Amino acid sequence: MAILETRGLRKIYGSGDTEVRALDGVDLAVEKGEFAAVVGTSGSGKSTLLHMLGGLDRPTSGSVTVDGRELSTLKDEELTIFRRRKIGFVFQNYNLVPVLNVYENIVLPIQLDGGQPDKGYTDQIIETLGLQSKLKNLPNNLSGGQQQRVAIARALAAKPAIILADEPTGNLDSRTSQDVMSLLKVTSQRFAQTIVMITHNEEIAQMADRIIRIEDGRIVVRG
Amino acid sequence: MTEIICGTAVVIAIFALAAAVWNRHRAKRILKNLDRMLDAAMAGTFTEQDFDESLLSAVESRFAHYLAANAVSAQKLQEEKDKIKTLIADISHQTKTPVANILLYTQLLSEQELSPEGRDCAAALEGQVEKLRALVDALVKTSRLETGILALHPKAGPLAPMLEEAVAQFIPKAAEKGITLTLIPTDTSAVFDPKWTAEAVCNLLDNAVKYTPSGGTVTVEVISYQMFCRVNVTDNGPGIPESERAKVFQRFYRSPAAYETEGVGIGLYLARQIAEGQGGCIKVSSRPGRGCCFSIYLPRS
Repeated sequence: MAILETRGLRKIYGSGDTEVRALDGVDLAVEKGEFAAVVGTSGSGKSTLLHMLGGLDRPTSGSVTVDGRELSTLKDEELTIFRRRKIGFVFQNYNLVPVLNVYENIVLPIQLDGGQPDKGYTDQIIETLGLQSKLKNLPNNLSGGQQQRVAIARALAAKPAIILADEPTGNLDSRTSQDVMSLLKVTSQRFAQTIVMITHNEEIAQMADRIIRIEDGRIVVRG
Repeated sequence: MTEIICGTAVVIAIFALAAAVWNRHRAKRILKNLDRMLDAAMAGTFTEQDFDESLLSAVESRFAHYLAANAVSAQKLQEEKDKIKTLIADISHQTKTPVANILLYTQLLSEQELSPEGRDCAAALEGQVEKLRALVDALVKTSRLETGILALHPKAGPLAPMLEEAVAQFIPKAAEKGITLTLIPTDTSAVFDPKWTAEAVCNLLDNAVKYTPSGGTVTVEVISYQMFCRVNVTDNGPGIPESERAKVFQRFYRSPAAYETEGVGIGLYLARQIAEGQGGCIKVSSRPGRGCCFSIYLPRS
């Protein structure tokens, strides 16, 4: 069963002569546990697509269904909570909270939800991502690759239905990118975590189980 | 008179307020209890706390029943899975000897005086038995890995000896086909199971040598990163179209373009199991017509 599905997804900015079709009818399904990469050049609509998938923006028409819930049926407040519980984000610029240490950053989404971190699970994630010795550090004292590992751990810890990664290696050199990508792949295998990653980098995308290409707001199939 | 009415109204209002506050407090306490029950259930430590006539106690009791039933069905499911795995393991193990015998008798048959047709048949028979034997061998290996009869034992060590051994096995085959097989020297260390990782690398090499046309090149190279290192097996054969890249790692998947070539489609599946089993992963990148590059990522610590 698809854990993430879009049907006829359209996003149109402006109207008349200035109309821009950022997304022009996207039908997409991602299965549970799948690691999919969405590849496209800048302006292809891939970032718009990610914003729609993550409920960060509302489509002009069409639907996005995450874990059986159609996002357009949720009110703004419900959507905020839905995002916190069901969607993990990994951004290009890490978005860690600078005044919290590594461990506090990792468990923050769980605590925001009033829950108790699942100790065994969090420990497993921390170990997989090689962060045991860094738990007390503040994000500013870590390298870019380490900060991104913390961001991945934070996304995983809340056990979201999907993780959306927006150019996760965009700020990293190519060697560190390979490490971060390997970790994303290993974690997707080990925790059966569904990941959708946006990138413009072919080499990075090839780490995924499936590559989805987007051009001019449409999905294209290449043999 | 109005004073009495007012007074009563105030008293009623106070009572109502008190009741509302008390109700809210009670509801909160019940929800907190439920939250605690769920936390305990997730941690696997749930036991019934209260035994009284309250509804909460009844809910607790029903919840305990539900958890117990769930545990039983999970256990049954696991048993079913184990049974299937054991069955596969048994079948593959039991077929090993007969297949080896068929191969032996086929070879004996070929040594007899045979008519030209008979010779053709014997040769075809031998080819098919070889294929069956390779399949059974691979099945035995995967089923043993899956059932945990054979566990991976990753330990820290240099990659070079394992790679040299694996590459050496394919030098004759590559030479026979006129393929240049190169191992680029490396001093990288990783955490891996030498025997099984060699198996995975051999499967990649086997494919590379099989699909690369004569005159081609196959290169084995190690690139090291901070957390992982990457063993690349690169060839300049026909490559793999993008639509098939994820499928090649599935069990028994054969590319329509590869039907002509010997093989059963289990080598890459086994290689993936081995890579994943030691905390690594496997990927392929390819440009159709230019060749492909299979990479095994292994953790360095």
